[in-house]
Amino acid sequence: MKEPVIKGNTIIVPSSLEYLTNIDDFIEGILRGFGTDDSAIADIAISVSELVNNSVSHGNKASEDKTVSVSIDKKGSDVVIVIEDQGDGFDPEEISNPLDEANLLKDSGRGIFIVKSLMDSLEVNKTETGTSIIIKKAIA
Amino acid sequence: MKLTEREQDGVIVLEPKGKIMGGPDASLLHDKLYEFIEQDKKKFVVDLKDVEWMNSTGLGIIISGFTTLRNSDGKLKLANVTEKIQSLLVITKLQGVFEAFDSVDEAIQSFNE
Ligand SMILES: Nc1ncnc2c1ncn2[C@@H]1O[C@H](COP(=O)(O)OP(=O)(O)OP(=O)(O)O)[C@@H](O)[C@H]1O
Ligand SMILES: [Mg+2]
Repeated sequence: MKEPVIKGNTIIVPSSLEYLTNIDDFIEGILRGFGTDDSAIADIAISVSELVNNSVSHGNKASEDKTVSVSIDKKGSDVVIVIEDQGDGFDPEEISNPLDEANLLKDSGRGIFIVKSLMDSLEVNKTETGTSIIIKKAIA
Repeated sequence: MKLTEREQDGVIVLEPKGKIMGGPDASLLHDKLYEFIEQDKKKFVVDLKDVEWMNSTGLGIIISGFTTLRNSDGKLKLANVTEKIQSLLVITKLQGVFEAFDSVDEAIQSFNE
């Protein structure tokens, strides 16, 4: 297994779910350094795990020669996290509502909905190399 | 995530510990659950006492086990749902789907009622 590359507040990993825990340790460590409370740390960590799962599975379609990068910063009272993959992206407005009767008991389709519920904002942008997803949450 | 399993009074009790976030750890929970389902076990309790948090992958595994069992006269119930997971169940409207108990013993007891 290759090692994650860490540069300042950015971690870059091969596109595999094996690295979810590396990313989680990295993000939670930095959040603790920001003085974030446990509940907000969990909300942010859950959201990052959702987006990394998606970048690996949907964005990079699990090809391990691609990478996923996660950066974290604090701007004013906001924690700002950017997740990048090399896929074609998606429109978060187009995702079907997991609360609809027909979707309620499905095995999947809740990730982005959960991120939107736990974070203050979610934004998806096309980049030269793929897709970047920016999430923000104000912390005390 | 770590996983332990035991059988108590004919009920399979699965105890994941840590975070259920996807990847190899989550596959372990999925595979163990389905291993017992294939052995024709019908009564399951997932004890969430030591689960710090989970994401949609964890919810997906539990809901999948729940519906598979329900379609074959089985049941999957939850015990010791922690605050973070409870709020996730509320957000996703799954709190009304699962039967949840304050202890594993109460969950096991409920199979006899
Ligand atoms: N990084 C991404 N690149 C391309 N498509 C994406 C990306 N993230 C999400 N999507 C699309 O949005 C859909 C919804 O994502 P969401 O995380 O809500 O559900 P899911 O991943 O299908 O299931 P779950 O997260 O519940 O396991 C995905 O099925 C996929 O089509
Ligand atoms: Mg997802």
